[in-house]
Amino acid sequence: MSAILKLENICYGYTDGSYKREILKHLSYEFQEGTFYTILGPSGSGKTTLLSIMAGLDKQEEGKIYFMGEDIDKMGLYKYRRNKIGVVFQSYNLITYLTGLENILLSMTETDNKLPGNQKELAYALLNMVGIANTKAERLVTHLSGGEQQRIAIARAIASNVDLIFADEPTGNLDTATEQEIIKLFQMLSERYGKTIIAVTHSNEVSKFSDHRVLLKNGILNDL
Amino acid sequence: MNFLQRAFNYVIRKPTKSLLLAVTFFVIGNLVILGLGISQAADNAKILTRKKMRAIVSYEVDYNKYWNYIESLEDSDAQDAAYKNYPKIDKETALNIAKDERVRAFNYMTNNTVYGLDIEHNPLGNEDNRNGNTYTDENGNEVEYKEPSFMVYANLFPNMIELEEGTFEIKDGRWYSQEDIDSAKRVVCITEEVADLNSLRVGDTITISQISPAQKKDLIDAGLSEDDVNLELEIIGIYSTKEDVDPNSDNFKWMSPYESPKNRLMIPLTTYAEYAFEVSVAQRKAHPDWFSSGTDEEQIRSELETPSKVVYLLDDPLNVDAFVDENQSKCAEYTRLNANNDAFKKMARPLDTMSFFASIVVWIVVLNAVVIISLVTALTLKTREFEIGVLLSIGVSKLKIVAQLFVELIVLAFIGFGFASISGSLMAGRVGELVLDYQTTSDQKYESDDEDSYVWTSSTDYFTTVTQDQLLSEYHVSVSPLLIVEIFLLGTGVVLIAIVIPSFMIMRLNPKQILLEQN
Repeated sequence: MSAILKLENICYGYTDGSYKREILKHLSYEFQEGTFYTILGPSGSGKTTLLSIMAGLDKQEEGKIYFMGEDIDKMGLYKYRRNKIGVVFQSYNLITYLTGLENILLSMTETDNKLPGNQKELAYALLNMVGIANTKAERLVTHLSGGEQQRIAIARAIASNVDLIFADEPTGNLDTATEQEIIKLFQMLSERYGKTIIAVTHSNEVSKFSDHRVLLKNGILNDL
Repeated sequence: MNFLQRAFNYVIRKPTKSLLLAVTFFVIGNLVILGLGISQAADNAKILTRKKMRAIVSYEVDYNKYWNYIESLEDSDAQDAAYKNYPKIDKETALNIAKDERVRAFNYMTNNTVYGLDIEHNPLGNEDNRNGNTYTDENGNEVEYKEPSFMVYANLFPNMIELEEGTFEIKDGRWYSQEDIDSAKRVVCITEEVADLNSLRVGDTITISQISPAQKKDLIDAGLSEDDVNLELEIIGIYSTKEDVDPNSDNFKWMSPYESPKNRLMIPLTTYAEYAFEVSVAQRKAHPDWFSSGTDEEQIRSELETPSKVVYLLDDPLNVDAFVDENQSKCAEYTRLNANNDAFKKMARPLDTMSFFASIVVWIVVLNAVVIISLVTALTLKTREFEIGVLLSIGVSKLKIVAQLFVELIVLAFIGFGFASISGSLMAGRVGELVLDYQTTSDQKYESDDEDSYVWTSSTDYFTTVTQDQLLSEYHVSVSPLLIVEIFLLGTGVVLIAIVIPSFMIMRLNPKQILLEQN
């Protein structure tokens, strides 16, 4: 296995008046391909900040991030987000005036990594894979349950044909049964399709089923 | 699912927001159509009326200006000198102006009344009213006054306006040529009415004189011969003219025969000037005491060869103003190019006032539209930050997000303006009529102020007379396809400007912050 994502000497902090609070302190870590990671840590430890930086939604103050050996700053964060990664959020973050299918198609249209074939059929196939039937796929996402919306969010994350998926508290808004289903989905994506999943979570259930658990504490990552 | 599809989906699936914006555009559209419709109708009325007027500009002495100048002189000697040195139009300048490519034809022409010695004039039909003209001479004798029967029109160039416009048409023979003019050949073109009445043909001759029978008798008594004061002309062309007198006009009853277009004799200017010069010299010989001393022959010739005005026929009535503006600088002081615009401008004042206010309304509405749409979009943007954050998180560029917003607004603008173009056209017509009625019944109604100024009119006037009623009858507010295109372009412009502020807001959005706040 080779490193899909390499963090090198990452620093990040907040300035609160004259006081500077350092969140990430020269953090270095390598995430391997096809592995399901969970990042754990106490509240305020900087888990979501780290995820945002890794997902190209924010910029580190110092250090480098390499995706498959390529510096993502040089690649460009828009291009990185569009073509290399997918993100799943706690509150799904789907476009509410679009149907489930359209949310998937949106992601498929934007990426430069288009899967060959009829895009609509591929979108249906992806949705079916995450357990969304065609009839539900054609409803506005606001007419679906939280679990269904999160499934669609996961489908959207992989719709751009990426190998790396970030998830920020992906089961935070879901009941236990649905949480299990989502965990299984991540496991399937990792095991069957070789996707790398990096999930930030508080949930022991999620971390229990991951391949690798990492703790963020005092601004650095340590394997558990 | 590109930005166009997203935009259409947003418009359809957010009906309340879309409806509110479409209604805003509808109201704006109606006001803009109203303003532009009224303004355009006023402009159209002026253009249509202008087109009905002949494309005529005259190069002439600015009498009002010169008289004002003379009145400003305090020294009476200077005033006398000014009266003697009256400004004249300049031949070189006239020809220079005629080189303008918009000039189709021009008349460098003088006219003078003459007596037909061996030809009868075409009767006007008012002769019963005009018998018995007599006057008493210095010896107390009652003398019958015989008025001139023909009008000589003498042009320096063969390409006359009347021929160019088709008012004259040669029926037999030919028009005089430049060669005839240059050699001052004694040739004439007469109307077919005069030719028929006198059984004249091409090749025949006619004799005319600018001296009245009474004056002639006096000159012959003083030792001059008939040949000294008569002009024999060979008929080289017989023409028809579309012009005629109007028997219903106020002055028909008193009209002289020479005023009839049928009694015009067309001859080269050089021919007539030479003849008039010879007559003048003969008169001075016969009665040197009648004339002031010191007038040289060159001055007499120059006066005889210089018309009171040069008239240009242009290719398009709408080119008249530009022609005047561009060529005015060629005219010497106290001469001018006159397009007869002053009266037209006064008549058009109600339309101009209306057009002015309508344009102001349009600008106010457009400015308000920009502000309103900017604010509405900016406020809507606040509620759509989450959506933008999501789009940014999946790598959609900010430019595409702005483009989506723009398309959404354009779609709604086009829907609003589409309905407005129907309702606005109905409204604009009615409101336009109401405003025009108010304008014309108010104190701005045009009244001729001819009484307060000097107006020089002559039979060489070529201007078309237009009344204010004719002008206002051309005022019709209608929403033309061109106006609709203008409104849609304006709407696109408004949306483009209105999107600027929201675009800046989008550019400074940070996806992490938006999504963190949301989560």
